[in-house]
Amino acid sequence: MIKIRDLIFEYFDRDDAGHLTEMINAIRGINFDAEKGDFIAIAGKNGSGKSTFARILNRLVVPLEGTVLISGLDAMNEDNVIEIRKKVGMVFQNPDDQLIGSIVAEDIAFGAENIGVSPIKLWDQVISAVEMAGLVVYDENNKPNSKKAAADMKKMLYKRINDLSGGEKQKVALAGVLAMKPKCIVLDEATSMLDPHSRKEILDTIKQLNKKLGITVIMITHLMEELSYADMVYIMHNGRVAMKGRPKDIYAREKELLALGLDIPACAKLGKMLFEEGITAASDLYEINDMAQSIKSRFPNRFFLNTKMPEERKSHKEINPMQAVLADKISFSYGDKKIFEDVSFSVSKGEYVAIIGKTGVGKTTLLQHIPGLLKPRKGQIYVDGVDLWDKYTDVRKIRCKVGYVFQYPEQQLFAKNVYEDVVFGPRNIGISEVEAEKRAYESIRLVGLPDDVYDLPLDKLSGGQRRRVALAGILAMEPEYLILDEPVAGLDPEGRRQLLEIINAINKEAGITIIAVSHDVESIAEYADRVIVLEDKSAEEFNDVSESFYHMYMKYGDLEYLPVGMQLLVVLRSMGLETDCFETDAKGAVKAIRAALK
Amino acid sequence: MLKNITLGQYYSADSCIHSLDPRVKIRFAIVYIIMLLIDRNLYLFGMLTAIFLISVLLSRVSFRTILKGTRGIFIFILLCSAINIFTTSGQVLYHIGGLSVTLEGVIKFGFVFWRMMLIIFMSSMLMYTTTPSQLTDGLEKCFHLSGNVAMGITIALRFVSILSGELDRILKAQYARGVDFKSGGPKARIKKMGNVIVPLFQNAIDRAGNLGDAMDARCYRGGKERTKIKPLIYEISDVIGYIVLLAVTAASIWLAVKF
Repeated sequence: MIKIRDLIFEYFDRDDAGHLTEMINAIRGINFDAEKGDFIAIAGKNGSGKSTFARILNRLVVPLEGTVLISGLDAMNEDNVIEIRKKVGMVFQNPDDQLIGSIVAEDIAFGAENIGVSPIKLWDQVISAVEMAGLVVYDENNKPNSKKAAADMKKMLYKRINDLSGGEKQKVALAGVLAMKPKCIVLDEATSMLDPHSRKEILDTIKQLNKKLGITVIMITHLMEELSYADMVYIMHNGRVAMKGRPKDIYAREKELLALGLDIPACAKLGKMLFEEGITAASDLYEINDMAQSIKSRFPNRFFLNTKMPEERKSHKEINPMQAVLADKISFSYGDKKIFEDVSFSVSKGEYVAIIGKTGVGKTTLLQHIPGLLKPRKGQIYVDGVDLWDKYTDVRKIRCKVGYVFQYPEQQLFAKNVYEDVVFGPRNIGISEVEAEKRAYESIRLVGLPDDVYDLPLDKLSGGQRRRVALAGILAMEPEYLILDEPVAGLDPEGRRQLLEIINAINKEAGITIIAVSHDVESIAEYADRVIVLEDKSAEEFNDVSESFYHMYMKYGDLEYLPVGMQLLVVLRSMGLETDCFETDAKGAVKAIRAALK
Repeated sequence: MLKNITLGQYYSADSCIHSLDPRVKIRFAIVYIIMLLIDRNLYLFGMLTAIFLISVLLSRVSFRTILKGTRGIFIFILLCSAINIFTTSGQVLYHIGGLSVTLEGVIKFGFVFWRMMLIIFMSSMLMYTTTPSQLTDGLEKCFHLSGNVAMGITIALRFVSILSGELDRILKAQYARGVDFKSGGPKARIKKMGNVIVPLFQNAIDRAGNLGDAMDARCYRGGKERTKIKPLIYEISDVIGYIVLLAVTAASIWLAVKF
């Protein structure tokens, strides 16, 4: 279906005088084959050339040298462009800038309209694309061709794009490609901006399409756990294929992956650890259920009939309200839409606290209340004992104390170079220029950026570096509390690891309180002191991280909210192994399993 | 504030107004506005108000949504039309300071305000019941525009809400970095706004680039060989729509001449 030989692509960046400065996103000789029905993943850190490669497959980028044959069509030939794009559909990263229509049906039809599908066939193709993309799901209560199903379909077709969630938008984008009846789908980091739940839904749907309809799937990603979906993995580095193999074989080469700025997923690490401790027989297990089955088959007499889960635990912590952020029964709604009600929580100075909760429960909204960017409809917020919305309070002073880092903060940088952007905040708060300058230099150092970046323009930096500049801009205000909304979203493994280390250092060494919302449960398990679980009508506080995650599990019964260590413990317990469930990291989990097997 | 922009806000509902051909709705709205302008009399305005109310009922768009959508412009219209109270000569009712309130002025104010509100209401009805791409398809046919212009308008309308959300985020991020938009002289304020507009433009340009790629990837080539999921073909209901339009025009002219 796709055959690529000795592919070369490069483009150059020139400075104002026309001198060559650097070669970007180059591809330096790639051989690649995909047959009908293959599911291939291409991973690599930012700048490895993987996205450029994806764009060549769909002929958005013209290859420079080499052979690119898509279904036998030569990509070098200008006449084949439309034919290639008909055969290879593409789903992009950002759900907000790839949809064209204003309602679902119009958007899904867009591609099919462009290739001249007749209006009579169009509706059928759109409806079947909606079904295939999982936008309308049929089950026992909602059988196909029933009245309810027809009503659901109609409702979905006429939904406004602006009313959809990020996950739904990506499904619409997928449906838009499916309506063109492609032979191959290329996913260009299509799940990287989604929450874990929507991510899994989309990938499961795509796996189904791949298996049932034989659609070839080529998935570009830097989320290592997603590689498990593929039959074959290519790892790209500096425009070359650095590794190639089945997911299992790739996961086995941890050291090489680390050297390439990647990592192995947490579950593969756990699998390896279990093998090294002699608990499982195979070193290449990376599915929780496989690990559990393997343990059961090795130690069948340790599994009993009693599968009752342990009770929830809840320990408490005293706080000093004069040295803390305190929310007292706050409620918030957008218009008539209630977001949360009567939520209370507290964060003491010096803590590293994470807030978790289901998608759409209002975590970002809650965060924006802390520095007074939003005002609660009811209830009070106190920072170090000061009521934020008291008429004598100067909210601007509070905002200097409580730093807020938005999701994807690098999109809001505006100055001409790194230094100018970082010094912007301090200049606003009426301190001397010398002091502002000093703070800027200190915070740039604090986020681990080298000294020679100060006067670089922002577009010369990588995504991870730009995010660190944004963080430095907030740190230069010398906040006592730092609020982070999804700090590591969209970063590649190396960028993620570096940023997490920096945040931890900010907390442990500089003593700044961290309050973070994150979907990245592994990093929460590793770094956070405490986790607050946000629900519709309350915020549950626990003194121990494991208690919070266990509460999430007991509340929603879903493993995806847990770190892998606890996932395994919970699964083993439900199979009858009498193990402790209150461990979050892999090490603790392995220890608990050993104790239970003795 | 930014969340209340109604431009290009489609209201999803299943009604006979929604399913009308956009050309009928566009022409209806235009004629309706002309009829509002031909004369100022109670009977004509009463009938046109009734037509608006009937169309709201038929469209199943909630009345609250329509009211909410005009909240921003309401005060502006009220103030503009209130000027008439003081500037029209006639029978003096009160003196406030150096200004005199006249009976004719009050009546004129009432009509101007009523007229402006109906114009806003009816045009937002057109927006609520027609998706941007249908609207542009209709405009394209009514005014003989090229397909690319229509596509441009569709996309621009879709971006209104995305960029207003983005602007909201940028403003908040700047508040969080100690910016006080309310202080300082005009020069300082303009500079502050520059810091908001630069990332907003950057963002819009990035998004436009991405959207262009996404359109290319889905084989967009301008209007060439393009089919439409909802081709503009008149049906019986559209013919009825035109007949109603003719009847309304005739009735309006009759009312305008008679009273």
